[in-house]
Amino acid sequence: MLSVLSLTAVVVGGILAGFYQLVYPKIEANRLAEERRAIFSVLQGATDYETMVKTIDTEKGEEEIKIFKGLDGEGRVVGYAFIAEGPGFAAVIKMMVGLNINRETLTGLRVIEQIETPGLGSKIAEEKFEGQFRGLAIKPRIEYVKNKKPEKKNQIQAITGATISSRAVVDAINNRIKIVLKILEDME
Amino acid sequence: MAGSGTILKEFKKGLWAENPVIKMLLGMCPALAVTNSATNGFAMGMATTFVVISSSTMVSLIRRIVPRQVRIPTYIVIIAGFVTLADLFLKAQFPVISKALGPYVPLIVVNCLIMGRAEFFASRHPLFPAIMDALGMGLGFTGVLVVLGGIREILGSGSIFGVVFMTEEVFTPWVVMILPAGAFLTLGLLIGIINYASQRREST
Amino acid sequence: MEEKGKKDNQPLKKDAPRAGDKPTAPEIVVSSSPHILTDENIHRIMHSVIVALTPAVLTSVYFFGLRAVVLLCVCVGTSLITEYVFQRIRGMPTTLSDGSAIITGMLLALTLPPAFPIFGAILGSVFAIAIGKQIFGGLGYNIFNPALLGRAFLQATYPVLITTWTEPLTKAGSVDAVSAATPLALMKFEGRMVAHLDLFFGNVAGSLGETSAIAILIGGLYLKYRGYINWRLPLGYLGSMAFFGGIFWLMDPASYPDPLFHILAGGAMLGAWFMVTDMVTSPVTPTGQWIFTIGAGFLAVIIRLFGGLPEGVMYSILLMNATVPLLNRLTRPKIFGEGGR
Repeated sequence: MLSVLSLTAVVVGGILAGFYQLVYPKIEANRLAEERRAIFSVLQGATDYETMVKTIDTEKGEEEIKIFKGLDGEGRVVGYAFIAEGPGFAAVIKMMVGLNINRETLTGLRVIEQIETPGLGSKIAEEKFEGQFRGLAIKPRIEYVKNKKPEKKNQIQAITGATISSRAVVDAINNRIKIVLKILEDME
Repeated sequence: MAGSGTILKEFKKGLWAENPVIKMLLGMCPALAVTNSATNGFAMGMATTFVVISSSTMVSLIRRIVPRQVRIPTYIVIIAGFVTLADLFLKAQFPVISKALGPYVPLIVVNCLIMGRAEFFASRHPLFPAIMDALGMGLGFTGVLVVLGGIREILGSGSIFGVVFMTEEVFTPWVVMILPAGAFLTLGLLIGIINYASQRREST
Repeated sequence: MEEKGKKDNQPLKKDAPRAGDKPTAPEIVVSSSPHILTDENIHRIMHSVIVALTPAVLTSVYFFGLRAVVLLCVCVGTSLITEYVFQRIRGMPTTLSDGSAIITGMLLALTLPPAFPIFGAILGSVFAIAIGKQIFGGLGYNIFNPALLGRAFLQATYPVLITTWTEPLTKAGSVDAVSAATPLALMKFEGRMVAHLDLFFGNVAGSLGETSAIAILIGGLYLKYRGYINWRLPLGYLGSMAFFGGIFWLMDPASYPDPLFHILAGGAMLGAWFMVTDMVTSPVTPTGQWIFTIGAGFLAVIIRLFGGLPEGVMYSILLMNATVPLLNRLTRPKIFGEGGR
């Protein structure tokens, strides 16, 4: 009785293991290609990148932070990219953020994962919103204004009717920038 | 033993008379969760069809050697195996669709439709009828998911299979249709209208 | 709300005029005892409600001009057409003259922003009557308030359009079609308060008929005077909002609005006098009515202060509507002689 069940499990497990070996390179390549696209879209001029991994202690335990160092054709550093994520209106918003080499302004933002309200909060993933982060000053911290044009260099305009999603993006970036700046300083 | 007429009947019943979604209300979770566009509905339908055909084939083949007491765990192992195959395949070949369907591909394991076909049909019938039954059920499931996804995509995004044919100037999309509430509304009204129509036809 | 008779003018049985009553089948009215036979009927009640809504309608036209007239006409017209079409399809006698579709249309229009597009108003009215009322079997069988259900559908369908507000025409220096923030949104997102007096008279941005507390109050008191609404329902709802809002205000007056603001701003007044009091979708027993209104008031305050949206009246009433069948069952009065168990 159990032998049939065990045999089935072994056979199925074997087939799966084999199939996994077969498709794993492709899945990994897809993941890397997506990562590349996101990094290059927030770091203009980058043609290659190096990944730096650093483990830090947070309140929630250890966390692994990846910083991508963007390199141009001649191997010069053009900026840093990192992933920021935070709770949005519906679920976690995940985005790639580009930081310029002086670590004073952002070079771009690309929202990678979000399921905010379609037509409203989901506008955070549109160029009109993402573009505002290009050249945005990060100090003292990124702020948002509503229903008017931003006046300061560190301000963006929130999406009308989607303040929560806009605020989630800003908060997530602000939180993560602090950690990233600290890591970059420590490395020097 | 079984003539071609009964084989055809096994195939056809899943398309309408015993359609898993609109008649038996099986597989509600994927039918509601991933039908926010026709493409997603189609992809989910195809993945489910693959799993139901493969698992029904296997279950029918080994139906005489599986002891009664462990048949359910055995079926689950088989189904889970094929679901994982489908999941890995989508991840490798169609990463965009795989991302859109998210956790609902692995969740095909617990789709009652597949377990139901294994338990009620494939484990009691020879190979060929079991395959035809699974094919009919899979296609019936896919059809309803495409219709649901199509209705929701047309009203919720003004497009069909990703092709925009109503721009925002002429039609303001009904955002609710691509939210979960739209799934319940569309499916409920669809089943209601079908039941109403078939009742009227019976009474006349 | 009464049940429609076979013939339109047929008088129906009704209990003591003040108790909300809930029909379950034509010509049978179910409410908690005691019952009295009167000559009240559905037409008279509905027509009184329409009269009671007049002040709110007039102020909406005064504050928002022609847009208010257009939206009101579209909503009422679409509601009537939908009701007629549905009753014809189902082969039922048409009961347009009972006025219930007119009220649904009026209430829906009064909860819409002034700049709301016509096609949206049509869609909302069709949904309110078709899905909110007729699918359940028509007047008296619906679980949810049809107008609010239509409003909730529009909220999910056109989240941008339904939160785009305009300043009233009467406001100094206001230009038509300039987007503005409602008092509740100002409170929630910018921590700014609007003067109580403006809220009371309605000289603020907001839904057509929700801005002016005084106009709604006049209509509500008229209904009360005619004996068609039960005092427990509006008072329980507003009292509960003031009470729970007041608790937060006392804890931190700087970040939470005061109780008076809660009951004057947004849809609280319209909801309390015309939606909570809906005879079909509110409980019939006094205990049930208390639970219903206190629960709804609590939910409204919680959604306003901690939810994603600035306004919580609509969802609070809809959520509590769902509990009405349970409340009626739970709070059924004991049959005489049954007590003492």
